[in-house]
Amino acid sequence: MALLSDLQLLAPELIVAGSLLLVLILTCKPRSWNLMAGISLAGLGIALVALVPLSGRAPQSAFSAMVVHDPFASFCRAFFLVATMLAILLALRSRELQGPGAGEFFTLLLAVLLGMMLLAGANHLLMVYLGLELVSVPSYLLAGFLKRDRRSSEAALKYVIYGALSTGVMLYGLSLLYGLTGSGGFEALRGHFSGSSFDAGLVGLAVVMAMAGFGYKISSAPFHFWAPDVYQGAPTAFTAFLSVGPKAAGFAVLVRFFFSGLAAAPGPEGMLLPLARWPALIAVLAALSMFVGNIAALVQHNMKRLLAYSSIAHAGYMLMAVCLLTPTGLQAMLFYFVAYAIMNLGVFLVVIMIANATGSEEIDSYRGLWSRAPTLVAAMGLFLLSLAGIPPLVGFVGKFYLFKAAVAGELYWLAVVAVVNSAISLYYYVYVLRVMFIDAGAQPAPLRPPLLHSALLAVLVILTVALGIFYGPLDALTRASAHLWVPGGG
Amino acid sequence: MESTSYALVFYGFSALALAAAAVVVFARNILYSAFALLATLFGIAALYAMLGADFLAAAQLVIYIGGILVLILFGVLLTQRVAHLHLRVTTRQALPALVAAALVALVLWVALVQRAPWPAPTPRPMEPTTAALGEALLGKFLLPFEVVSIALLAALVGAVYLTRAPERDR
Amino acid sequence: MIGLGHFLTVSVLLFALGVLAILLKRNAIGVLMGIELILNAAGLNFVAFSHFLGNLEGQVITLFIIILAAAEAAVALAIVFSIYHGFETVNVDQVDQLRG
Repeated sequence: MALLSDLQLLAPELIVAGSLLLVLILTCKPRSWNLMAGISLAGLGIALVALVPLSGRAPQSAFSAMVVHDPFASFCRAFFLVATMLAILLALRSRELQGPGAGEFFTLLLAVLLGMMLLAGANHLLMVYLGLELVSVPSYLLAGFLKRDRRSSEAALKYVIYGALSTGVMLYGLSLLYGLTGSGGFEALRGHFSGSSFDAGLVGLAVVMAMAGFGYKISSAPFHFWAPDVYQGAPTAFTAFLSVGPKAAGFAVLVRFFFSGLAAAPGPEGMLLPLARWPALIAVLAALSMFVGNIAALVQHNMKRLLAYSSIAHAGYMLMAVCLLTPTGLQAMLFYFVAYAIMNLGVFLVVIMIANATGSEEIDSYRGLWSRAPTLVAAMGLFLLSLAGIPPLVGFVGKFYLFKAAVAGELYWLAVVAVVNSAISLYYYVYVLRVMFIDAGAQPAPLRPPLLHSALLAVLVILTVALGIFYGPLDALTRASAHLWVPGGG
Repeated sequence: MESTSYALVFYGFSALALAAAAVVVFARNILYSAFALLATLFGIAALYAMLGADFLAAAQLVIYIGGILVLILFGVLLTQRVAHLHLRVTTRQALPALVAAALVALVLWVALVQRAPWPAPTPRPMEPTTAALGEALLGKFLLPFEVVSIALLAALVGAVYLTRAPERDR
Repeated sequence: MIGLGHFLTVSVLLFALGVLAILLKRNAIGVLMGIELILNAAGLNFVAFSHFLGNLEGQVITLFIIILAAAEAAVALAIVFSIYHGFETVNVDQVDQLRG
């Protein structure tokens, strides 16, 4: 029976939903953060295990073509599960997140994860809207989770206003696409726009409006204005999650929307033909994000704000891969998901460890850390250099793939822009590192981070270096996953 | 679609919705804006009914007006110092905003209404939609239907957490 | 006499008024009302297309818009209350502590 096999395909999502409900039911009494985190991690682990056999199945659509199951979706879902598990580990022992509210926190976090996983396979305009809302609405609450902290509440307010506005504008654009095709499915979009002549102006307008929603989620300029305030005010563990999870989910749905809905079936080299001139638009947004992110980051004094602008710039790098419409570009983007997650979660982990001890997230407060916690500084240095793209770290490999794809796609001007921007970014990443070496006077007490954090830090450091040198397996995995399947051919 | 009474009703409710929306935007008293929004939502519900979406019109009335608007009214009244009736709302410099909005309206109108590249209309007959919607929600749209309940659950849980008095843990 | 274009004109004007509200209003709830106008404009589009194209999907989508708008409004207002608790105001120009 079709429903049963469809449910099998979405078994990981069902398990995540089940964990969410379990956490929620247990919240009838106040519970410890450890318990709630443990249950969430167990649930996500089971979901991950359930995902493995599914990834071998042939590409197909499920639930009346609402979602699609293909290698791209499987990779993204696995990535979201792992990223969320890491983010949960970051949240444990974070001094900001204590006291009551453990159950609510994980309920919301799991809801965001569910939305992300659905976005990975979304094949219909309604699923795009629903998935984005399921990711965004609990995120608004999670940003404002620190009730007593005014900055957290302010972050939540700005987030909800920008987010609701962006999704509203996007929805208007999607309505225009529905009006043109009479259906919401991506295959209908592709079918309609491949064949008959259509009003390119209107499609362009609809695409621009839809980009408001996608651009907001991936924090690309000029839809990025919410990011610095939200990154700064939200609990740092959630900020870390936000920079890696929802952002990647936004990319996943953006890619499928454009590649499946607004591009013709792939030609012999595997390159898709765009319908309507959207790659040019994305290229411009990519360049804009890189410049806005990197230049603004140069003048930041708050570490989380700096990382927000860094995140905006990295959205630009990844957008560069999207506008190429080649499997190579797609593979580069997937590789960068993983690389970015490792580096960025590493940086945020160090920020949390420092904030736990010193209570500050200002870069100036990092002075003298070299004498207090040399291993921490070394790890941070590794992550920052990786973000800047210095070999032989994973960030370098990721950027190399992105540049290579851009050159192969003959998008030379954008590749040059990206290289220039990487150079600019090196300045502020190194600046943070330099501050740590400045002597702060009498500050002898060494930092004693909890064992969980130290262990996690070690794992991330090892991954940053190992995947930079032995990038083969990840390369193979991403190449195999860089395939989108469209119901009805392609 | 042909009769003059239909046209009259259409113009009447459209005028209501748009005039009320203008009040929402330009009223200096936020309470006036909230009640004007009620009128706008009502006008839109009427337009839905005129487009044959009877269930949707009722849903708009019950959910949007009966739920969302009431919530907004609560919000307005609880975040102003009602004792002083400090309900005046200042607005920024109007001119650049007006120009921007007019531009947006113009671009959209030209693209959607004047050039109007829509497929030839094949209007649905006016018939009750409730049964068909029900079948769609449990048929083609089963997945979003089930997922949206989780979205509502998460919103509920989070909103309660955020507004719960901080002193009481449970 | 009354065709698709008439309904689209209404939705265009609603959208523009919503944008105007967001640009002009200083009260956070006022901005929220502008967003509701935009969502309703999109919903009107979907229902209008649904009728004139002879297809039920638009109505289903609008139903979900209404549902998710309710969830979003509840969350937005919870956040507004949180702000009011901390800042004693909901004026978006005054809620501006986060800075570089």
